Amino acid sequence: MPMALEVEGLCKSYGKKEAVRNVSFSIEEGKIFGLMGMNGAGKTTILRMLATLLRPDRGDARIAGHSIVKEPDQVRRCISYLPDEAGAYRTMKGIRYLEFIAGLYFSDEKEQAECVERGKNICGLGEALDQKINTYSRGMTRKLVLARTVMTRPRLAILDEPTSGLDVLNSLDIRKTIRQCTVEYGTAFLLSSHHMQEVHTTADCGAIMKDGQFLATGTIAELLSQYQAENLEQAFEKAVRGI
Amino acid sequence: MMNLLRKELSELMNRQTVLSLIVSFVMIVMIGTMVTSLMSQEVAGGATVHIIDEDNTPLTQSVISLLEEQGCSVETGSDFETMAQTKQWTEAVVFPAGMTAAFENHETAELPVYTELTTTSAVKMSMTAGSAERVIDALKTCLADQYLDEELSFLENPVKSKPYTRANGVTVQVSANAVITSLAMFDQVMPLVLFLLVVLTAQTIITAICSEKLDKTLETLLSAPISRGKIIGAKMLAALLVSLLYAAVYGAGFLCSILFTAANGQTTENIDISGAFSEIVQTRTAIQELGLQMPGAAWAGVIAQLALTLAIALTAAIILGALTEDAKNAQYACMPIVLCTIFPYMLSMVSDIRGMEGAAKWLMLAIPFTHTFIATSCMRFHDYALFWGGMVYQAVFLGGVIWFALRLYSSDILFVHSRKLRGNMKKSV
Repeated sequence: MPMALEVEGLCKSYGKKEAVRNVSFSIEEGKIFGLMGMNGAGKTTILRMLATLLRPDRGDARIAGHSIVKEPDQVRRCISYLPDEAGAYRTMKGIRYLEFIAGLYFSDEKEQAECVERGKNICGLGEALDQKINTYSRGMTRKLVLARTVMTRPRLAILDEPTSGLDVLNSLDIRKTIRQCTVEYGTAFLLSSHHMQEVHTTADCGAIMKDGQFLATGTIAELLSQYQAENLEQAFEKAVRGI
Repeated sequence: MMNLLRKELSELMNRQTVLSLIVSFVMIVMIGTMVTSLMSQEVAGGATVHIIDEDNTPLTQSVISLLEEQGCSVETGSDFETMAQTKQWTEAVVFPAGMTAAFENHETAELPVYTELTTTSAVKMSMTAGSAERVIDALKTCLADQYLDEELSFLENPVKSKPYTRANGVTVQVSANAVITSLAMFDQVMPLVLFLLVVLTAQTIITAICSEKLDKTLETLLSAPISRGKIIGAKMLAALLVSLLYAAVYGAGFLCSILFTAANGQTTENIDISGAFSEIVQTRTAIQELGLQMPGAAWAGVIAQLALTLAIALTAAIILGALTEDAKNAQYACMPIVLCTIFPYMLSMVSDIRGMEGAAKWLMLAIPFTHTFIATSCMRFHDYALFWGGMVYQAVFLGGVIWFALRLYSSDILFVHSRKLRGNMKKSV
């Protein structure tokens, strides 16, 4: 299976604090990788480096064969990034927001229209798309921004805490959408989460992080087996607390 | 209560606020010192009177002696043109040949009063004017002493001043005040509009970028396949268009106020319309003769410089917006732009920046916005070297701030709230 992402020795410091230390991993096309870690573990820094927003101090990553250090412009054509608790332009209508994002990725009008159509189907907001975003609930906004992330059919979708602050049903809808996109578009997902259950049910593989380093990485089954745990929550606790 | 107050203060008084306060303090002290110094120079200059004594009689000598007794420094010369060129005279009263003879015949005499126009600032002109009145008052006093025992009607108004204005090397018989009043409609209002435009648009763009950062829509934009230049360009263009809309609305409002005032004056005031109209036409003709009328190309130049100033202010706002950490600080972040605008604006109101000397002048010219505040003055008084020099400086300055903005938006600084700007700027994506 071709690789959507290959990370090699990624490092990043903020002043004297080492936020990410020599991180390496890879994701196959159409697979979901879950980054698990406590607050401040370095998850968002990794995601921002892969989204070409931060420059690594050392190391590199290749997304669909393009280096994030040497070819950030090409990388941006292959990725789509959803920041933690990201909003949308509040005074825009939902549909206009999807059209705006489609316009950033495609110059051809037909491709733009197809992209928006995909976005409409993915978010499932129906007539609410004709309303302004400032009238949306948190769940609706999240569905809209997730739809704009995946409607461009990126090779790699980078999602920072995609279900953070959502109720159970909205979270379930988001997870279903993610799984559906891997099948339909072959998109690979890199998502960070505090919810072990979410990673357990959504991801194919993952990594547990602490203080900017990977403590363990592998498929979900491998992680459970490595820590002799019944679920990821147990595995995470054992890994982080060193039990 | 104290607990709440402490929390509010700690949120408002951060390092950015303190820095902004220090910069404000320094700039206000500088503005105050410079304005006070300029005003005292102007007032001191007003104590000097210039007289061209073509009559040279005991009466004119006694007027000069009286002025000196009153504490005035009296300078005399042969003709105004030469004295304006060589001694930088800005005003002079002429005692014409035959003036004393006219008084002896109990006739009113006409006194030519010359004014050298170097600026269209009404405040500056009002500060320097006044020496002619002083001379005429002294002359009246001397005449009253001379004809103490006589009941003469001509003594009620023995002299009539005949104003001449000199500008761009040309002298025309017109009152300098009439010229300034006629030009003030644009020259006094344009700086105010410019000041409001710069401050409003800068504030708008800083707040917009700040909310983009908070909503994390900026991260979405910057990770999309679109160049940083296009993102910054679109932001600047949008803000520029909005600011031009503001300018159009201000301009239209100002025009309406003039039309309404004129219409109101015509219907309610009992004025001599034809007389007033002929005076306006006369002043307009004089303005043309003095070379103060701006042709279309000059207006285009001034508008181009206005656009450059707005572009600099907007780019600076884009930079400041990127460095602002939260919405509360967005208000303070605009302060450097406000101060750099208010400084030349105030000085252009009370002084002639072009006529300043030494370090103060260069300090003022180093502020890129200054050049737009003096642009019309440069054009009216044919100071083309300063105008074009200023425009080149503004263009270079704009290039510099755009380069810096592009570097900033390609660096870590947007997402790393660290004050180590240099270090993070090096880490360009």
